Amino acid sequence: MAQKWQPDFEQLVDEHQSMVFSLAWRMTGDRGLAEEVAQDVFLQLDGNMNRIENPEHALNWLRRVTVNRSADALRRRRVRGVDLWVEIEEKHGAPAEEMQTPLGTRLEHLLSTLPEAQRAVLVLRYQEDMTPEEIAGVVDAPLATVKSNLHRGLKLLRAKATTHLKEYIRGL
Amino acid sequence: MDFEWPDQPEQIDEFEKELKQAMERRPAPPSLKRRVMQQRSTRRTERHHTSMMWWQRLAASLLVGAVIAGGFGWRQIEDRRKGEEAKQQVLTALRVTNQVLKNMNRKLAEHDRAESSK
Repeated sequence: MAQKWQPDFEQLVDEHQSMVFSLAWRMTGDRGLAEEVAQDVFLQLDGNMNRIENPEHALNWLRRVTVNRSADALRRRRVRGVDLWVEIEEKHGAPAEEMQTPLGTRLEHLLSTLPEAQRAVLVLRYQEDMTPEEIAGVVDAPLATVKSNLHRGLKLLRAKATTHLKEYIRGL
Repeated sequence: MDFEWPDQPEQIDEFEKELKQAMERRPAPPSLKRRVMQQRSTRRTERHHTSMMWWQRLAASLLVGAVIAGGFGWRQIEDRRKGEEAKQQVLTALRVTNQVLKNMNRKLAEHDRAESSK
């Protein structure tokens, strides 16, 4: 009989903190909020360690919970009436963006203006390199809905980029 | 509505390549892991305290329950003992009365005999 996988919490945090944090940041658009979400996600993982079956399960569990927690955090913010996207640049914008190209930074900013469902699938697709089938499993939605959101999201992002980033995409 | 979605890398256009590049994972802040581990340890301690508190409450409740049950039991035994005592007293009183009546009966009988022999 195969031996049951024994997850090590600290090791899981080490391995996935970058993924969880990036996913949360791109979903919420707020570095501070993303840190809070990432922290909550890992604490939730700690409470569910006995249900995690293997490394693959841990990765997908973290992706799903991060997307859900980020959506919840955004909803709570909206209820409180905070205008997120005004805050981003002012409070939490800078440090990590320095590593990116100007186009990358701007694309990321435009991504944050997309509807939540489209943003989620685009982040999972391009950050996590997931197939539509895998995304459907994470966001718990039909494959057709995921493909539709990918298509619409990418189309909308392209349109926004064409309008706002003319100087950068001339050559693309 | 079903959309064709490219799964092959060669089908991804320049815009998507740029998007993919823009969406590389970012390093988590160095403080994140430390805070997670700290919170985890705090929560575990709290959970331990909470469970200890529940055990203490349970033990206290059991003790109070045992005291109440013991008091109730003791009172029943005491009531039974007092009832038994009262019963014995009544029986003694009846025995005394019985004895007195017997004596009186005997005296009356002697008196009657003395009257008839006169």
